[in-house]
Amino acid sequence: MLDRDLVSEVLLAARRRGGDVAEVFVEERSSTAIRLDDGRVEELTTGLDRGAGVRVFQGTTYGYAYANRLDRDSLLEAAAAASAALAGDAPGAVVDLTERTGPGTNHAERAASDVDAATKVGWLRTVDEAARAVSSEVAQVTGIYFDSMQRRLIATSDGRWVREDRPRIRLVAQVVAKRGDVIQTGWQGPAACAGVEFLDVHPPEETGRRGAERAVAMLDSIPAPAGQMAVVVANGCGGVLFHEAVGHPLEADAVDKEASVYRGLIGERCSSELVNGVDDATIPNGWGSYDFDDEGTPAERTVLFTDGVLEGFLQDRMRAARMGVSTTGNARRESYAHPPIVRMTNTNILPGATDPDAIVRDTGRGIYVTGLGGGQVNPASGDFVFGVSEGYLIEHGEVTTPVRGANLIGRAIDVMSSVDAVGSDFETWEGVCGKDGQGAPVGSGSPTLRIAKITVGGTGV
Amino acid sequence: MSELRDLVQTALGAAVEGEQVEAYAEEERRTEVSALRGEVEGMTFAESRGVGVRVIRDERLGYAWAADPTEDEVRAAVAAARENAALAEPDDANVLPDARSVEPMPELYRAESASIAADDKVRLALDLERYCVSRDPRVTKVDLAQVGDEVSRVAIGSTTGVDQAYERTDAWVVAVTLAVEGDDTQTGFSFTIARGLDQLAWEPIADEAVDRAVQMLGAAKPETAKVPVILDPFAASNFLGVLAGALNADNVLKGRSLFADMVGQEVGASAFTLIDDGRRADGPGACPFDGEGVPSARTELFTGGVLNGFLHSTYTAHRAGGGQRSTGNAKRGGYKGAPGVGTSNFFVEAGDRSFDALRADAAGGVLIMDVSGVHSGANPISGEFSVGATGRRIGVDGTLGEPLREMTIASTLPEMLRGVRAVGSDLRFFSSVGTPSILIGEMTLAGV
Repeated sequence: MLDRDLVSEVLLAARRRGGDVAEVFVEERSSTAIRLDDGRVEELTTGLDRGAGVRVFQGTTYGYAYANRLDRDSLLEAAAAASAALAGDAPGAVVDLTERTGPGTNHAERAASDVDAATKVGWLRTVDEAARAVSSEVAQVTGIYFDSMQRRLIATSDGRWVREDRPRIRLVAQVVAKRGDVIQTGWQGPAACAGVEFLDVHPPEETGRRGAERAVAMLDSIPAPAGQMAVVVANGCGGVLFHEAVGHPLEADAVDKEASVYRGLIGERCSSELVNGVDDATIPNGWGSYDFDDEGTPAERTVLFTDGVLEGFLQDRMRAARMGVSTTGNARRESYAHPPIVRMTNTNILPGATDPDAIVRDTGRGIYVTGLGGGQVNPASGDFVFGVSEGYLIEHGEVTTPVRGANLIGRAIDVMSSVDAVGSDFETWEGVCGKDGQGAPVGSGSPTLRIAKITVGGTGV
Repeated sequence: MSELRDLVQTALGAAVEGEQVEAYAEEERRTEVSALRGEVEGMTFAESRGVGVRVIRDERLGYAWAADPTEDEVRAAVAAARENAALAEPDDANVLPDARSVEPMPELYRAESASIAADDKVRLALDLERYCVSRDPRVTKVDLAQVGDEVSRVAIGSTTGVDQAYERTDAWVVAVTLAVEGDDTQTGFSFTIARGLDQLAWEPIADEAVDRAVQMLGAAKPETAKVPVILDPFAASNFLGVLAGALNADNVLKGRSLFADMVGQEVGASAFTLIDDGRRADGPGACPFDGEGVPSARTELFTGGVLNGFLHSTYTAHRAGGGQRSTGNAKRGGYKGAPGVGTSNFFVEAGDRSFDALRADAAGGVLIMDVSGVHSGANPISGEFSVGATGRRIGVDGTLGEPLREMTIASTLPEMLRGVRAVGSDLRFFSSVGTPSILIGEMTLAGV
């Protein structure tokens, strides 16, 4: 994308006022998005984005500037603007840029760019047909297809030169089911950093059918009960809960600002001993995977909890240096238009030993959660909330009536400490996490698990 | 501006017979500075520009965009949009608007705001942080103390005669403070936005962020109950996004809005009036024309609880038929997407009751100061929601009491709108949505 001499010159310009490290991030991204609404192609958009960001940091002070022009003048201007954040007057040096290569975590067998748009529209038609075949109560189907290829170059004044291409693909079904005045929605959206071979594993039929099944099932729902009760979280859903409630407070920027409930608790048991959790960017073709993070650090599998004991935080270069530890390769950015921040990648609770069916059987009364719509956490207080998009009552050890309008609310440490069963199954879920105005694709995964007692918000008092 | 217009003209010059072409060009320059521990935490300079092209051919719509394109790349985007259109379904509602005269809004651009030096922004961010940590012994840290400003320009042109351009300046201050007492940490957020940094009253924002954190120290979890509730502007503004989705004509036409069959009905209580007004110059969402060059307008969506209609773009107006016209609500997330339906200044009309008077009427209830999880916990199609909440008890004499956390409120949108008993006079904008405090007769509040 850019030659090394020019990049070196830009890095040198960014260090005109010194700083610990200067960094250049160059990106070129082509994308296709197609939306099929009511069986009609409503929108087919292709785009080409490119740009470069220059950052220089000293301690935890950084300057960042970007431009979507890649000529020498624009890059040098960005470097000058970024360096203005620092107060020093001793220019820094740039060491020789040495290429590093990664293992190819996100290899695409069949690139989406080699498939014509008509074929992609065909996948959406399959989603639509499969959803409508589920029930005559399916009133509305929206199918969304997305793919992109992001080419990145990361170079730093301390010699990093990393190039990595990252393919993404996603197919989403949003289904509305209607019976009289009752309207319910269902959603299914598998995603990966992969080529179109991903659809062999998650075929469009399955996405459409599953989205419709969720919507139709909720037509029979009753208002969720309110109050404290046991909640069994189905495999796949617990990872989202772990991501929000635990993952965000473990991001080192929150810890550094003393805005994390887990600050000072490394080595302490602050979760049930059944909980083993990791953040793993090395999972092949994972939605949150990469060879190198957006600072050019090799991806890692970072252990967060071992038998409920907190092992460490997620780090980027600035925070790790301040805390005197190594970065865990968790610096990510939405695009060249954003400075990197500490982010999760694929955050998983590892499987345990209990038969998942037995977990439900052993629950007298509670809620069985099979879909979580997402959530929010205040890392400082640990307070979190989750919307339940698909849930059922558990009565006498049996999954019975579907419930709607439920959410789960609690404090991270309390809730993770009251996990009293962890299943032997495992499933993943792919989402987009928002933080500081930046969206990042993240994976999460979990076995079936039970929280002995948590507050359920609902209207059925 | 002339460069943007050149890009637009290049695109229109690439149109061939039998098609409508529209080009939208945009450029923005943004600076953000945040301070932490008495130093600059981060300073971001952003400069971007791009073009998005809509092509309609045989009633089929295609879109393509390019970041900072050369003239050849603009022409390539027109060709790509044309190819994309060929794969779309014909839809006779796919039309570009005709040229209409637009009343300019020169007050949206302040030349003096566009030329504030970076050093002044740094000084302001440092002042903001220093001020935040000096107000209360329990607040010695911030999570975020940030100032930002932006200059942006837009040009739109089409083969149907649209030819519009405007520029604007915006500036904002965000403060998130941390209050600590024992092992309890609480955060307090505040935010304001104006036309320029020199117009921002930032001290009251900092005071408010400090106050909102300190108030929550020692918060407890309440018992589950049905009680009267006041949503303060921070909390109430969270629901406006859900309402905006349900009032979007595109969702209505596609069976994705609970309000679809309710026009003319008394959906909410008489105290509830909801307006979208792009011409309101003091609102952050003000703009002379929308994302396809149609003049902005004032649309009363609810008047005294009665639903009047929906927000429309040219597409949804045509699709709805019956003489419906665009309300000037075609909105874009930027040049990277075709316009959809969105809001400009979207706000609940202020009432005449002071906040104190509202509290007196909510005796024994709860003041909700923040809600969380609205994006996942509220369903614009069914209208049901269940969200996390924090706030304070309201005593029997109307005074504010014990802080509360870890509770949820759940209801449906129609039920909540019917339950509006009074609306405060304290209207306040948060980005482009605004609301005063709202008193609701009864809501389910789940805690212990």
